[in-house]
Amino acid sequence: MTSFSLNIKHKLGILFVFIALVFPSDLLAQRMGHGASRGGASRNVSRPTTTHNRSNNRAATTNRATTPKRSINGGSRTTTNRSFNGHSKSKISNKKTTPNRTTNRKTSNVKRTTNNKAANKNVNKARNKTHVGNNNVNVNINNSRHNNVRNTRVRSSHVRYSRPPYRYGGRGYYCHRPYYYHPYRPFYWGPVWHPWGYFVTSLATTAIIVSIVNDNDTNNDEYHYENGTYYLKTEKGFEAVQAPIGAQVPEIPKEAQQVKVNKTDNYYYGGAFYEANSEGYIVVPATAGTIVPGLPEGGEEVKIGDVTFVQFGDTYYQPIQVDGKDMYEIVEVKEE
Amino acid sequence: MKNHLFTLALFLSTTIGFAQESKDIDSTAIFILDKMSAVIGDLESVNFHLSSSNDKTDADLNIIKDYHESNITFSGPDKLHIRLNGTDDDIGFWYDGTNMTYFNYNENNYVTLEAPKTTMSMIDEMHASYNFQFPAADFFYPAFTDDLIEGFDSIKFLGKKTIDKETCYHIMANNKKLNVQIWISSQNDVLPKHFVIIYKDKSNMQYEATFNNWSLNPNIPDAKFNFLAPPNSRLISILKK
Repeated sequence: MTSFSLNIKHKLGILFVFIALVFPSDLLAQRMGHGASRGGASRNVSRPTTTHNRSNNRAATTNRATTPKRSINGGSRTTTNRSFNGHSKSKISNKKTTPNRTTNRKTSNVKRTTNNKAANKNVNKARNKTHVGNNNVNVNINNSRHNNVRNTRVRSSHVRYSRPPYRYGGRGYYCHRPYYYHPYRPFYWGPVWHPWGYFVTSLATTAIIVSIVNDNDTNNDEYHYENGTYYLKTEKGFEAVQAPIGAQVPEIPKEAQQVKVNKTDNYYYGGAFYEANSEGYIVVPATAGTIVPGLPEGGEEVKIGDVTFVQFGDTYYQPIQVDGKDMYEIVEVKEE
Repeated sequence: MKNHLFTLALFLSTTIGFAQESKDIDSTAIFILDKMSAVIGDLESVNFHLSSSNDKTDADLNIIKDYHESNITFSGPDKLHIRLNGTDDDIGFWYDGTNMTYFNYNENNYVTLEAPKTTMSMIDEMHASYNFQFPAADFFYPAFTDDLIEGFDSIKFLGKKTIDKETCYHIMANNKKLNVQIWISSQNDVLPKHFVIIYKDKSNMQYEATFNNWSLNPNIPDAKFNFLAPPNSRLISILKK
């Protein structure tokens, strides 16, 4: 009897074939799959025959010799040896042609999803990283400082959603009301309110230093409040920012609007939500499903699949219409 | 002995898997698909009209149908323009080899993105990263036939059928999730005439489209593919998937 033993090269070869067969790439594009189209084809090779050899080998790919130079798709491509047994496709690499080119045309800001839980845990680290890339919508204001992750997180709605969510990128975007687009035009709260990013070297004597309830922030930021506007103290002066969650203030401007949040009354002013308590009013996080009539400056319109929301940090506002009036509903985002 | 058993186990596990998934591919169907793909691959520019409908569910999970009319123009390997309007949508795509712009006429806003250097790689990347759907783009993938062979368990030629007074080859492809039926003109150009996609795993919802007014190798000025933002329109951000 002949003794047969496998050396290490044989073993590695067998293992490689096994992995290639068991884990084929399964990429999809458009309505049908196009794995083969992504494969690297050797160009300028004449097609040897039109007879299909039904073997298991599909490595060879040919372009037609008569393909014009300006073909709309680079010319038809067919494999010479086609397999009809499945799973024998060669490893396909998607051609990554991310351009590294400079163009004069202004391009959109590409945003990427962030993990809310991680972001909330690392509030201090996450600051100034809310926005990825350049903000082309509000070029004069650096929003990253004004709507940090902690102050834009959203509480879940207690009301069950009757509408299916809008799904995109592994997330569900839940709303109670249908999408009704209207362009984002920042609401004007009157002359005493200042938009985020507004800078002054000194504040009026009526301004107060804000105490923040349950503040886990170790940055020791000093917030000042005057007539519904919050200012963050900096080296050179004071900069208007989004209301910090947990800020306790004795009063809010009379222009504040009452909004229903989970069957209780909240107050909305300058993009911040307040709850009344014995000491005045406290800034609370936005709650999903809340309907607000206007949004302050500092947001940006973001296309998410087929819809366009207005985004402030981690808060998305869906444009809606209520009794003929343009309004916004706070979106609940769930990982799915 | 252990080595022998290990090798045998590896091969058995793969071959048993394949034995259950052998494909039923009709060579006549492949010949027709190859011919159609070759004609498309030989085009230097093309313009056509596409009438399509797709099913979707409303808030009460009822299936409702949307209709769209699209005018689609390819020119060379790096130019594409699509104008689509329908039940809810009124949009346009411009691709000039450098940037891809999506313009929403209803909302008067647009997204402009740096794009790959060829039309097909642009379509692929924009779909993968942002879920953009380009009507009938499947037919323009260079290895369309191989894509079908790879993605479907059976491909059959169902004979000649007449659609809009035009004799067509009827081809059907099936896998667990999709039933795709394609009608390809039997005339000299062998171009697609009609197709239906049935989503078996989504209550048999359908996408259906008819090609019309094929114009082969028309002379199209490059300016058609450059986007000029209309007055008061807004450049907005976009979320990557």
